[in-house]
Amino acid sequence: MLQPFHYAFVQRGLLEVALLSVGAGLLGTWIILRGLAFYSHAVGTATFPGLVLADGLGLAPPLGAFAAAAAFALGVERLAHRRREGHDSLTALVLVGALALGVILASDVFHSGSNVESLLFGSLLVVGRSDLWLAAAGSALALAGSAAAGRRWLAVGFDPGGARSLGVRSAVPDGLLLGLVAFAVVSSLAAIGALLATALFVVPAATVRLWTRRLPPWQLGSVALVMAEGVVGLWLSVELNVPPGPAIAMLGGAVFAVSLAGRRLLPARRLLAVAGVALLAGCGVARGDGSGRLEVVATTTQIADWARQVGGEAVSVHQILQPNTDPHEYEPRPSDVEAVAKAKVVARSGAGLDDWLKRVETEAGGGSAVVDLGAARRDPHWWQDPRSAETAVAALRDAFSRADPRHRPAYRRRAARYLDELRSLDRELALCFARVPARERKLVSDHDAFDSFARRYEITVVGAAIPSQTTQAQPSAGETARLVGLIRREHVRAVFPESSLSLRLVRTIARETGATASSTLYGDSLGPAGSPGATYVGMERANADAMARGFTGGVVGCG
Amino acid sequence: MTLLRVEGLTAGYDGRPVLHDVGFVLEPGERIGVLGPNGGGKSTLFRVLLGELDPFGGTVYAAARRGFVPQTERSRLDYPVSALDVALMGTLSRAPWWRPLRRSDRRFALDSLGRVGLRELAGDRFGELSGGKRQRVLVARALVQDAPILLLDEPFTGVDRPSADALEALLAELAAEGRGVLIATHDVDQVRAWDSVLCLNGRQVAFGPPERTLTRAVLEETYGGEIVALPGEEGAGILPPHHH
Repeated sequence: MLQPFHYAFVQRGLLEVALLSVGAGLLGTWIILRGLAFYSHAVGTATFPGLVLADGLGLAPPLGAFAAAAAFALGVERLAHRRREGHDSLTALVLVGALALGVILASDVFHSGSNVESLLFGSLLVVGRSDLWLAAAGSALALAGSAAAGRRWLAVGFDPGGARSLGVRSAVPDGLLLGLVAFAVVSSLAAIGALLATALFVVPAATVRLWTRRLPPWQLGSVALVMAEGVVGLWLSVELNVPPGPAIAMLGGAVFAVSLAGRRLLPARRLLAVAGVALLAGCGVARGDGSGRLEVVATTTQIADWARQVGGEAVSVHQILQPNTDPHEYEPRPSDVEAVAKAKVVARSGAGLDDWLKRVETEAGGGSAVVDLGAARRDPHWWQDPRSAETAVAALRDAFSRADPRHRPAYRRRAARYLDELRSLDRELALCFARVPARERKLVSDHDAFDSFARRYEITVVGAAIPSQTTQAQPSAGETARLVGLIRREHVRAVFPESSLSLRLVRTIARETGATASSTLYGDSLGPAGSPGATYVGMERANADAMARGFTGGVVGCG
Repeated sequence: MTLLRVEGLTAGYDGRPVLHDVGFVLEPGERIGVLGPNGGGKSTLFRVLLGELDPFGGTVYAAARRGFVPQTERSRLDYPVSALDVALMGTLSRAPWWRPLRRSDRRFALDSLGRVGLRELAGDRFGELSGGKRQRVLVARALVQDAPILLLDEPFTGVDRPSADALEALLAELAAEGRGVLIATHDVDQVRAWDSVLCLNGRQVAFGPPERTLTRAVLEETYGGEIVALPGEEGAGILPPHHH
């Protein structure tokens, strides 16, 4: 039952939870007493403009996050000081400003890359050394702040009017509270992410509040509950193979609901016993194990396909991203970290598409050979060019042969056959596009996923509907209007939505220009099993066919 | 030494005055009752005296620290504080905000709870005390502040008879020690036992000793003619419409 806790990455997650729990539990009570729940939820998300700015200026992302959180705290504090409104409406006001600023910066100033908001998503499974230090600092500051200013926070919350007449100048201590909450929430982002921060900062404290009406036991109880929910959530995460953040959030919500219901029915002690038994009874999930084959981890769908083609029966491929997933909304699951830890070969796409793997690697212990297939590339979508795929497949073949010399002949044989297939695919597509007049080979898609493909087959990329690669970016009306003008001037016949992103914008542009938008392209990942794009070769053929038909109004196909 | 001197005071909100031309003095040992309808300017006057609101005109001279005793219903009754915690809030004004609590602070707070007769209930949760006891805890808090001037906002509202008597005795005692006490109230009869009365209705209607000031005409002007006259001598037995 305690087996999950033997993994080094789980132990580090436990340490992170323990370090966070002091600050989260302690500040949680103040957050509830002072009506700051929405503020504590918002401050994590409000770091977005700071992340964009840090990315654009080449600074460390946490620096941008902390600066943005500090500015956010200061903005709310100044407004709260001037206008005696509740913090909720002021928080909403400043949050809207911060997010709007972030979207404008990402879309129109920096044209941010796809990984800019990765700091908003976190996971207990991949915390690094600096995250542990930050969590410790957040908790230490929360303790010191509570000891110094806690009585003032209490007095101002008790009766704001009365506190003023007590000679409490609330601006400094109140600003301190907002600042501490901001620091603690941002220091927890790497572990839990902005969307779920309240699972640590609000839910446990609200739960304990149901059971006690005294401050000291409430604070101690909240710290203990954050720690308990973190530990049990982490354990559940490994046993059930779900991401730990949502596991902790669901657990916290369930404990709160049970507390609320049980508060009326049962005395406290008996209820805790019942809850404990129910939790323990919920465990007993069996776990499978590998079977002597070469363990390979592939980050993306296309790499997993290549690895299966080259490895055949001799390898067991663990594929991290699933078809049609957005790479930056990915949160590692325990099985991913475990697979990386056990793997002999880890193959990644590189060039900015799967940067999160670095953290999984360091967490897993780094005993495996990591093959960065896109190390020399600048375009994250380099693999859309079949000739680049050939290079990658050769690299996989060599890596497999080194790690598993026993099956070297089989790897060589299978790789040679697959490389032939890729070469004939490339010839076939080149011939197909040669039948499309050069002036008709004009591509408009929804983001820049096809630069490499277009360069290979001499297709002109006229434009993309979304001006940068982060999904947080939005096109301005002016940019969309420019693109519409360009499409009309260049007589572009078809625009292509991509299967994993929103169709609506591209459809709007199509309606505006009279171009068709009937075929989608596979941009970031392969399609699900059973679809034409389920394999790399099938995906390339489907894309080429859709483009050729679109360019020529259906006259030329590559089917 | 005069504790409080107010002259020609005009105050209000957002540029609109709600209180005109107020002038009175508070001497040590005096209790002044402040009468007036809701919205008549009592709270506005208190906020100016506490320094929360800047007056539009006139002068306010305060010789000493002012302690405020709010209505207990304005405090959050579900708040996780004991009577002692509330009394201890009175120490906040006397030290910089980062200074930790000292043992002498705690002793002083317990003594002050003793002064209001609640030493035994120091550990009880504030929200679970009766209205009268909560009011006395808030008085204890003002005592911990060591304020020579006390402002009480309708302390007798929602308080049962025994508690009201205890509170009344306490106020007499505090005045006898040389403090100046300003009490907003709706109880005209109660005010008669005090030293002065200040009648407000958007402006100062009258100020002076109750026996001379509380005439039928003044009360009608203060409460806008809505008073109920009970049989009896001139001025006695007159109740404002929202008497509790």
